[in-house]
Amino acid sequence: MTAKILKRVAFMLLGTIAIPAMVAAQEAPLTIGMSTTPTTLDPHEDSSAPNNATSRHIWDSLINLTGTSSNEPELATEWKPVDPTHWEFKLREGVKFHDGSEFNADDVVASLLRARDKPSQGFASYTRNIANVTAKDPLTVIIETKVPDPLLLNSVSRVRIISADCKDAPVQDFDSGKCAIGTGAYSFVSYAPGSNLTLKRNEGYFAGASNWTNVTLRFLPDDGARLASLLSNEIDIIETLPADGMARVESSADLQVVNGQSSRFVYLGMDVSRDKSPFVKATDGSDLDKNPLKDERVRRAMLMSLNRPAIVERVMQKNGTVADQFVAEGYGGYSDKVEKVGYDAAAAKALLAEAGYPDGFSLTLHGPSGRYVKDAEVLQAVGQMFTRIGIKSKVEVMPWAMYSESYSKGTYSTFLGSWGVNTGETTNPTVALVATRDEKKGTGRYNGGGVSDPKIDEVLAKASSTLDEAARQPLLQELSVETFDKLWVLPMHYENVVLGAKKTVSYTPRGDKYTLAYDVKPAK
Amino acid sequence: MVTSIIRRLMQAMFVILAMTIIVFIGVSVIGNPVDILINPDANQAERARVIAHYGLDQPLWMQYLLFLKGLLQGDFGNSFVYGRPALGLILERLPATLELAVTALGIAIIFGLPLGLYAGLYPNRISSKLIMSGSILGFSLPTFWVGLMLIMVFSVELGWLPTNGRGPTAEVMGIQWSFLTGEGLRHLLLPAFNLALFKTSLIMRLTRAGIQEVLPQDYVKFARAKGLREQRVIAVHVLKNLMIPVVTIIGLEFGSLIAFSVVTESIFAWPGMGKLIIDSINLLDRPVIVAYLMMMVLLFVVLNFIIDVCYTILDPRVRLDAKA
Repeated sequence: MTAKILKRVAFMLLGTIAIPAMVAAQEAPLTIGMSTTPTTLDPHEDSSAPNNATSRHIWDSLINLTGTSSNEPELATEWKPVDPTHWEFKLREGVKFHDGSEFNADDVVASLLRARDKPSQGFASYTRNIANVTAKDPLTVIIETKVPDPLLLNSVSRVRIISADCKDAPVQDFDSGKCAIGTGAYSFVSYAPGSNLTLKRNEGYFAGASNWTNVTLRFLPDDGARLASLLSNEIDIIETLPADGMARVESSADLQVVNGQSSRFVYLGMDVSRDKSPFVKATDGSDLDKNPLKDERVRRAMLMSLNRPAIVERVMQKNGTVADQFVAEGYGGYSDKVEKVGYDAAAAKALLAEAGYPDGFSLTLHGPSGRYVKDAEVLQAVGQMFTRIGIKSKVEVMPWAMYSESYSKGTYSTFLGSWGVNTGETTNPTVALVATRDEKKGTGRYNGGGVSDPKIDEVLAKASSTLDEAARQPLLQELSVETFDKLWVLPMHYENVVLGAKKTVSYTPRGDKYTLAYDVKPAK
Repeated sequence: MVTSIIRRLMQAMFVILAMTIIVFIGVSVIGNPVDILINPDANQAERARVIAHYGLDQPLWMQYLLFLKGLLQGDFGNSFVYGRPALGLILERLPATLELAVTALGIAIIFGLPLGLYAGLYPNRISSKLIMSGSILGFSLPTFWVGLMLIMVFSVELGWLPTNGRGPTAEVMGIQWSFLTGEGLRHLLLPAFNLALFKTSLIMRLTRAGIQEVLPQDYVKFARAKGLREQRVIAVHVLKNLMIPVVTIIGLEFGSLIAFSVVTESIFAWPGMGKLIIDSINLLDRPVIVAYLMMMVLLFVVLNFIIDVCYTILDPRVRLDAKA
C-alpha cells in the first residue's frame, strides 16, 4: 500500500517537473528591438521602411523581394508578360489567411487597387503605372500597365496582399487587429502603438513555419534604451547598434555584432548648373566670376582629396563601405568600367591648380544631422579634407525637418545626400538624383545640383521602357558609367547595416535594412 | 466662484487661440511635412496629390480657417503621419503618461515632505545636513544621465529591473494600465524614480525653508505658550501655513510632469505623450502638435484652478472671488 502511494507521489513529482520542461522546449520566443517606429499597421497607408518591414511579418506580397533585391515567388508562383502592357501572375494554391479564409485572386485585385487609390498616396510611386488589375480565374491575375514597365515586379513586391473583406477598412481597424489578418509567417496578437507588436507563429505558413513560436517587435528609437535592452538580455537582436556600444558588444561573451552592406548610397551633391553658386566664394570672401563646381576637374580634385577609407573606418566606425557608383557589385547596373578615384591629396592640389584655382576657393557644405549614419561627423571630416587642398570649407548641419525641404530644391552649393536604392538597380537613383528636372516626366525630383546630361536622360528613357532583361542590363551599366565618369555627384559610401545580437541567433542583414523575424535563425 | 471659472476659461481660450496661430506659422517656417513623409520614389505629380490630400496646397490663412472650422465641430484634424484623428492618438497615450506622473509625484511627496520636515525641525543634526546636501545632487544631476545610470546599475549590471517599456498592462474601463500588474509595476519603478528625483529635492527644500520661516513666528510661540503639545503645534499651526507654497509647486510640477517628461519617456522607451510630441515635432505633424499644446494649455488652467481651491481650504483668508 505504502509502496503504491510512494510510486504515485513519485510519478506526480516527475510529472510536475517534466511538463514545464516540455512546454519550454516548444516555446521559442524572439524579441527584436527595432530602431524606428511604424506609424500604423495598415500596410497601404504609408510606404516607409519601418511600416513595410513591420507589415511583412503579417502579410505577404505576390513577389518576395529578397535581401539583395531579386524577385522570388511568394503568393505568385510564376509570372510572365503577355504583351508589353499586360502581365499574368499565377497564384499559389491552398494558401489560407490567418482567420482560415481562402486566399484567391479577389484579394490580390482588392489589395493592389486599394494601394493605388488610397488618399494618402503612400504607394503611388509603385502603383503609378498600374492601369487595371483583373482576376482571370481564382488563381490567375492580370495586371495591365499604362506603359511598358520593367520595374513592375519590384513594384508589386512592395504591396502586401490583404483580405478583400478589409479593402474599405480605415487605418484604425488594422491597428486594432480587426483587419490585421494576412497570409504571412506570423499572425497578430496585440499592438501598442509606439511600443510593441506581438505576433504568433502561423503554423500553416506555405514556406514552412517559422523557427520562433512568439515574436515581439519592440520599437526603441532611443539608442541608449535599445542598447541597454540588449545588454540586459531582454532582447535577442537589435537594429542599428549604436557605435558607442560596439566595443561592449564585441567584448561580451554572449553577444555579437552582425554587419552587412546596405543599398543606401551616400553622396555629395554639387551645384553644377548655376554660373554663380550662392555658397561658393573666393578665399577672401569676394564673389567669383564663375562657379568652379561646374568644372569636372575641380570635382575630381575634390573627390581625390577625400580619404574615404579613413572616413568609413574611423569617423563612421566601420559602419560603411566606400562607394564608387550607385550600386555595389551584384546589383543591376554595376559597371566595372567606372574608374575608382583614390585618395591623393598632392595630385588633387595639382589638378585644382590646372583648373585655374591654385589658391583654392571657399565653400559652405550643408547636410542633415541625425538622419544618415554619422552624417554631421562625416561632413566635418569632408570639410577638413577639402580645406587641406585649399578649398576653405565651412560646415552647416541642420535637423532633417529643415534640410529635407531645401536640399532637393537646389538651395545649396555642396550638400550631403543619400538614396536607398530600393529597386536594386540604377534607374531608381538615376531618375531621382541626376536625371534632368522635369515636372511632367517626374524626373530629377532630388536633383539638387541641377545636373542635366542629355546622354543620361536618353539612356534612362530607353532603360525605363525595355522589358527584356538582357537588353536592359547594358543600359543600366551605361547610367553608372556616364554619371561617375563625369562625377555629377561625388560617391561617398554605402551605409552598413549593423545589428547587435545574442550569439544564440544568426542573421544575414538585408540591403534595405529591414529586420525580418522569419529570416532570423537559431545559431547552430 | 462661477465668475472666476468663466473668466479663467475665457483667458484659456485666448491663450489657446494665440498658441494655435504661433504653431501654424512656426511649423510652416521650419519646413514642409510632405518632404519628410513622402516616399522618395514619388514623382512631382504624386507629390502634388499628397500635398492636396493634406490640404497643404491652400494658403496658410485658409488652412488655419479650415482648422478652426473643424475645431468648432470638435474635430482636431487627422495626423499627417498616423492617418488617424490627432486627439485620439494623444488620448491613447495619456494613461501611460498619467500613471508615470502620478507615481513620480507620489514618490516625491512621500519622501520629500517628511525629509524636509525633519531637516527643518532639526537643522543642526548631521542627518539633516546630509539630507540637504543630498537634495543638491537631486537638483543638479541631469535627468537623462541619472536615467542612464539607473538603467546601467539596476538593469544591466544587477538585472533586478527591466530596462524599458511598459511591460504587460491590465485593462480597466477600456484603458491599459501598467501599475495593475506586478510586472508592469516593476517596469514603472525606474522611470518614476528618475522623474521623482528632482521633484523630491524641490519639495524637500521648500518644506525645510518654510518651516524655518514659520517656526519663529509669534503664533507658533503663542501656541506653545498655550501649552499645546508639540505634535499639534507642528501638524496644525506650522504645517498648514507651510503648505501654501508647497501646494502651488506640487500643482505646477504635476503639470510639467505630464507635459514635459520627454527625456525620461525617451530613455525608458515609455510610450507616453512626451515621446509622441517629440516625434511629431520632428516629423512636423502639425495636427498632433496643435492638439497636444491645446490640451496642455487647458491642463495648466485646470491645475491652477485646483491649486486656488486648495488655498481656500488651507487658508480661509484667501477668497477665490477676491483673488481672480
